[in-house]
Amino acid sequence: MPLDIDRFAHLASPIQRWDPRFKTFSLGLFILGVALIKAIPLSGAALLVALLLVWMAGLPAHFVAGGVKWVLIFLLPFFLIMPLSYPGEPAFRIVGLPFAWEGLRLAVLIVLKAVAIVLTAYAIFGSSRFDVSMLALQRLKCPKIIVQMLLFTYRYVFVFLAEMRRMDTAMAARGFVKRADRRTLHVIGNFIGTLLIRSFERTERIYKAMLSKGYQGEFHSLVSFAADGTDWLKAAAALLVAAMLFGADALGVFRPAVLGWY
Amino acid sequence: MHISDGILSGPVLAAGFGGAAVLATITMRRMDMEEIPKISVITAVFFVASLIHVPLGPSSVHLILNGLVGIVLGMRAFPAIMLGIILQAILFGHGGVSVIGVNTVMMGGGGLLAYGVWQLRHLFSFGHKEVIFGALAGGTGVLVSGLILSLALLTTGEEFAATAGLVLAAHVPIIIIETIVAGACAGFLMRVKPQILAGYRRQTPLAGASVGKAS
Repeated sequence: MPLDIDRFAHLASPIQRWDPRFKTFSLGLFILGVALIKAIPLSGAALLVALLLVWMAGLPAHFVAGGVKWVLIFLLPFFLIMPLSYPGEPAFRIVGLPFAWEGLRLAVLIVLKAVAIVLTAYAIFGSSRFDVSMLALQRLKCPKIIVQMLLFTYRYVFVFLAEMRRMDTAMAARGFVKRADRRTLHVIGNFIGTLLIRSFERTERIYKAMLSKGYQGEFHSLVSFAADGTDWLKAAAALLVAAMLFGADALGVFRPAVLGWY
Repeated sequence: MHISDGILSGPVLAAGFGGAAVLATITMRRMDMEEIPKISVITAVFFVASLIHVPLGPSSVHLILNGLVGIVLGMRAFPAIMLGIILQAILFGHGGVSVIGVNTVMMGGGGLLAYGVWQLRHLFSFGHKEVIFGALAGGTGVLVSGLILSLALLTTGEEFAATAGLVLAAHVPIIIIETIVAGACAGFLMRVKPQILAGYRRQTPLAGASVGKAS
């Protein structure tokens, strides 16, 4: 599973060049706006905007599809559950099961919005280096302690991923095969315990190493942000689109998904 | 179990962010500099461990482990789980930026209650009680998360009532798996390195000094 979301942060595009503070703030608001949309045409428009962002950032389709795939797998059951379980008078019955168009429309709305949000998140965090994104969050008044812990955790996820793979190989070499039984779960419990103990002993060393390098509860970065007119312009454009989508939805330009397709 | 974007209503999303902020503020009180790297590193371990897949019938599920986080980190389980949720939303690209708050309350709340169950072991004295209470805590973590998730769905609208029921039913096998894994892990840690467990008390009090209620 690829965990390095910032693999394509080095590409040159209007999204990559966008000051991460402005990008995170304006697209973050866009995401919240999209989450509240209730009409299908507007959520479709939001999806197009998100696709445009990803395309502008030059993120390869297979890279983005990796994440979108999981969202779709998670949401697929909704196409079945919602039409069959929607309360009220069903439109017709399939083999005795009530089928309601309202439920189907709701499922379509949910999937459109979810994919639009995931794609926008790719456009935000896939177009800047991870540490730069985190620094941007800190400048946007996200608590310093949380940003610091996020950076730490991110750094050590890769260390323990490698550690876990080594332990996995060792277990396979000794003939361990995962089965759906109690013993497997017992072994996994011990496996996690071992991983925890190794890391626990490691944290002591990490902390001492940091102290010796002068750590005083603060991270310093060589990254400095400088916004110019185009950054403001891009942020204004993103916020305008978000406001238009949200406003059109609130004013009832289109009917909510529960009442009709458009 | 996670909720993805696009399902929950605005008020539920807002309540999620608000609840997460309040709980994070409470559970992060009096955190000193030394704890920052420690909590982060343990969070990274749990993040990685939750990628482990367990076979379940023809398919497989991944571990959640929020109960186990409570067993190891105590109150600090909440900020740790919050970090995990944020990283997951950003890193995996599985979505979930708009539901970071709801997911944090759901999983972190389970972790906190699991810690409460775990601490109850001090009231009892019998052999292998760490295994029993570890298992109970592991099950509690997932059960509470499932309940909060169903509640969030129900609050969003009655059209999600059936989904909420299905979600709860889907949690049953996961609760069983997490119960066994957490019990085994707690027992293992108790034998090998008990200091790592939250609320650990020395088994044999020093002469003259009473260290908690030793069993």
